[in-house]
Order: sequence, then structure tokens, then C-alpha cells
Amino acid sequence: MTLGLRELRRRFRKFLPTTAALALLVVLLLMLGGLLDGLYLGSTGALRSQRSELAVYSDDARDSVIRSRIDPATRDSIESVDGVEATYGFGVALVGARVPGETTIADAAVIGYEGNVDGVPAPPPPGKAWADRSLQADGVHEGDVVRVGPTRIPIEVVGFVRDTNFLQQGALWVEPDTWREVLSESRPGAAVEDGAFQTVWVDVAPDADTAAVARAIDEATGTTKTLTRQEAVLAIPGIKEQKSTFTQIIGVTFFVSGLVVALFFALLTLERTAMLGVLKAVGASSRQLVATLGTQTVVITALAYLIGALIAIGMTLVIPPQVPITLTASRAVFVAIGVFVAALVGGAISLRRIIRIDPASAIGTGT
Amino acid sequence: MPALQLRNVRKTYQSGDTEIVALDDTTLDVGDDEILALIGPSGSGKTTLLSIAGGLLSPTRGAVIVGDHDITEYSAKQLTTFRREQVGFVFQTVNLVPFLTARENVMIAAELGGHANEKATKARADQLLDELGLGRRAANLPAQLSGGERQRVAIGRALMNEPQLILVDEPTSALDTKLGTQVMELIVNEVKRRSTAAIIVTHDTRMTHYADRTVQITDGVLAA
Repeated sequence: MTLGLRELRRRFRKFLPTTAALALLVVLLLMLGGLLDGLYLGSTGALRSQRSELAVYSDDARDSVIRSRIDPATRDSIESVDGVEATYGFGVALVGARVPGETTIADAAVIGYEGNVDGVPAPPPPGKAWADRSLQADGVHEGDVVRVGPTRIPIEVVGFVRDTNFLQQGALWVEPDTWREVLSESRPGAAVEDGAFQTVWVDVAPDADTAAVARAIDEATGTTKTLTRQEAVLAIPGIKEQKSTFTQIIGVTFFVSGLVVALFFALLTLERTAMLGVLKAVGASSRQLVATLGTQTVVITALAYLIGALIAIGMTLVIPPQVPITLTASRAVFVAIGVFVAALVGGAISLRRIIRIDPASAIGTGT
Repeated sequence: MPALQLRNVRKTYQSGDTEIVALDDTTLDVGDDEILALIGPSGSGKTTLLSIAGGLLSPTRGAVIVGDHDITEYSAKQLTTFRREQVGFVFQTVNLVPFLTARENVMIAAELGGHANEKATKARADQLLDELGLGRRAANLPAQLSGGERQRVAIGRALMNEPQLILVDEPTSALDTKLGTQVMELIVNEVKRRSTAAIIVTHDTRMTHYADRTVQITDGVLAA
């Protein structure tokens, strides 16, 4: 067993405050990351789940699905472009939904679609919907008839899909005419004519260049702006800002994690300078002493990560489902790597001091 | 062959524009089973001499030969190996590793070498502790030992690798007269029993009769 592990085992109380601080930072990182992922996934599912590569918006919509309008003539122009293999109309109406037996009104996004959506079956018959599972937290069950909008249009839930929400509102996937009815009843000024949609998703032919097809569509119609799926996702209001804000907070938290480890090991190295001098005098190399510090950094960080992850998982179990927090495996791996890198960089601050310790200091020089 | 040969060793330090001579043109032989007491006032250069002999410091000029190793031009890495395998140190302040047991402290140099047979190393450490009267204290941490016991563990650590040269820095300065005498007798007995060379730095002239020879150092210059 190395010196570092022995010290950890026998003097763990010395390492406890740092381990605890690091564990709390891991909790913070996982919760912040979980919130970021929850907000991102909960706002973008309806667009991320599209199989098509391109989304066509009207050019005055400023990349907003809600503001965009694609009429049948424009859709014909889109379909006439070389490289366009198929198109699928798409529209959203954000409404309140009354759920049987519930007193509160659930926020819902009634989405009209024509198919080609990952995880969502073909459009159901008029007046019926595939509901996102998140609506179960609002009391929605299969077979329920929810009533949406100010005129309480009945929509029967025929089954559930997952990860398809839009702007944190539970998705109800319906056929286009049902969506148009809901839109005209809930926002009469925003109603669309028969055959029209807010956006049109475009499948590009396998041998066609996606960017070239996007340019050709906009040239052919003269009134559209075509985005890739990822561009459409990031154009949803607030998504870029959320990502940027959370990423900065997470970055600062990683920095603080590194700082905690750096300060702890700097103080520990200072405190045991005499002992390290003796170890060097009796034949320990700088490499061995640095390895001791590295071992301790890795063990402390691993322990802190384990404790922090367990606390974070426990917290997500008791947090109300309305809070958009999602712990993903990729986020857990990202935080683990980030914390380890921050801790190792922090620990490395003490390397120079360890290397510079003079073995002659063990007996004092110059006398 | 002498255990230690210093040939015209000079050690200087720079302090601003001033050159401080800690050791000046020092020539000294220590026989292979000789105990040498090095005495001198504070700041006389005795610790510098000890550090150079043990490979902790490199001389500014001159040659240092320990056994058949000329360590004068050794690199830092070579000096680390040399100290681990050829020299035993007993420090003024005992400086045991606080989170290692008495046995582990004695074994430390062998473990740092990385090529020791753990079972044999442990058996040798236990034998040494037995000889030093600490057989029952092998599993105790330094904090559980008395000052004298800690000093004995430090002596065990110095003897563990059967070094050619043992360097002892002010072994009695932190101890009362009675305990100091016991520790001194123990060091001398153990060193003599192993026919090992030793230099004992002390400012306590009452302890010099334990040595085969006493050398005085003043202002970095030896006087027989």
C-alpha cells in the first residue's frame, strides 16, 4: 500500500472537510447540469425528435415556430426543389389543458404533424392524441379526455410517447385539422387556413447536399428561411441563453472545485514540508512523493464524486416532477471527468513545492 | 578502505554579493568501523559537513567518497538512490512519519527502494525493533511512543538497510541527560555491533567519550 493510501486510511479526518466540500460541489454540478439538461430536453423534444434534416420557416418568423406560416403554395414550391424527397407539415398551439379529476390546468403543447417523428406513431384520428409521458405528472392517463383551450376542445389520449415536449409544455400529438381547430379557438388571430402549417420539415434525398438543398428551397420560394434541425432546436426562444448561463455557472463551479483541492493540498504540503524533507533525505524521490499526492487526489475525488452523485440522485427523487431536472449518464460522465481534471490540476499546484523541497532541510544547513 | 573520504571539500553560499564559506578545504577520513564525534559551536559548519557526507548537499569544490562510491558528481537521482542504500540518518528532531507504525517507519527506506522482499523486510524490521527493545511497540504509531522510543525507532530506520555510513545529527539535544546517555549508548552499541562507520554531530562535550575520535570544527575549518 502506498504512503498516500496509508495516510488516507489512518488520518482520514484530515481529508474529510475537503472530501465533503468536493462532494457538495459535485452535487451542485450534477444538479445544475441536470437542470440545464432538463430545461433543454423539455423545451426541444418536439424538434429533436424530428427525423427530417431541414425545417422551413417563413422568412419573417425570426426562426420562431409559433410566428411562422407556410401556406400550401409555398409548400408546393418547396416540394418542387431538386433534392427534396418528402415534406411534413408541423405546427404548435400552446394551451391550457383541463385533466379529468384535477383542479389545476396543465400546460400543454398541441402539436399538429404528418408523421416522420422518432418515437411518435403515425397521427391518430381527429380528436385523439399521443401524449407525452410528462403529462402523467399532471394526472393524465390513457383513455382520458382532456379539454384544451378556452373553448375546452376535447382530445382523447390514446397512448404515451416520451421526450417530445415543447417549451416545457407537455406535448399532445394530433392530426393537422385538430391542431388547426385548437389554434384558431385559442388564438383566433393566429389561425391558419386549411392545408397551411407553421413550418414544414424536409427529408433530403440521400445523394443531395443538405446545405445546397436548404439554399435552393429559400431561392425557390423567396419567402422562407430554412434551418437544419440543430439550428431549429437552438433557435427556440431562451435555449441559447439557458445553455450559455448554465455553462458559465458550471464552468465557475469546476474552477472552484479545482481551487478547493489546490488550497487543501497547498496547505497540507506546507504543513508536512519537514516530513517530506525527511522522506527525501532517507531516499524518497520527488516522483514518489508526487505520486503520493496524486493518489490522494484521485481517491478523495472519487470518494467525493460517489457521495455527491448519491446525494444528487436522492435529491432528484424527492424534487417535484414539475421541476425540469434530468440526470443523464452523459452528464454524470461529463461532471466526473470535469471534477477529476479540476482536482488534478488543483493538486498539481503543489507539485512545484514538493519538487523544490530540499532533502538537506531534514537536518538544516549552513551551520 | 575508509568508509568516508572528504578531499579538500569546500562549500560556499551566496548571500547577496557576499560569499559565505560554510566549509573550507576540508579533508577527513573516517574508518570503516570508526565512530567520529564532530563538535563545534552553532554555525561552525558541522551540519554542512554531515549533509555533504550524506549526499544531501553537493560540495562547491573537492571530492566526497563513501566506501567505493565517488558521489561528488552524482546527479540528484543518483544521490537519492545513494542515500537510500548506503547511508543511515538519525535526525536531531526525530521526524518519524506520523501515520506509519514503528515497524513501517523502520521499513520505509526499503519500501521506497521498491525492490525489497516484503516478508524479509518485515522480518528484519521486527528483528531490529526487538534488538532496540521495541518488539512490543512495532504496531504503535509515533504518537503512542515516548520520546526515547521514537528516537530508538529512528535509529532502527537508520540501520535498516545496513548502510556503510551512519550520520547522526545532535541525537541528544532534545532529550534530558539520562535519556540522552541511554540513546547515545544505544547508537554506539548498535553501530559497533555492525562494524559500521558513524559521524555523530554534537555540541554536548559530555557525549564525546562514546566516540573513537573527536574532531573540532570552527568557522568551517577542521582541527584535530
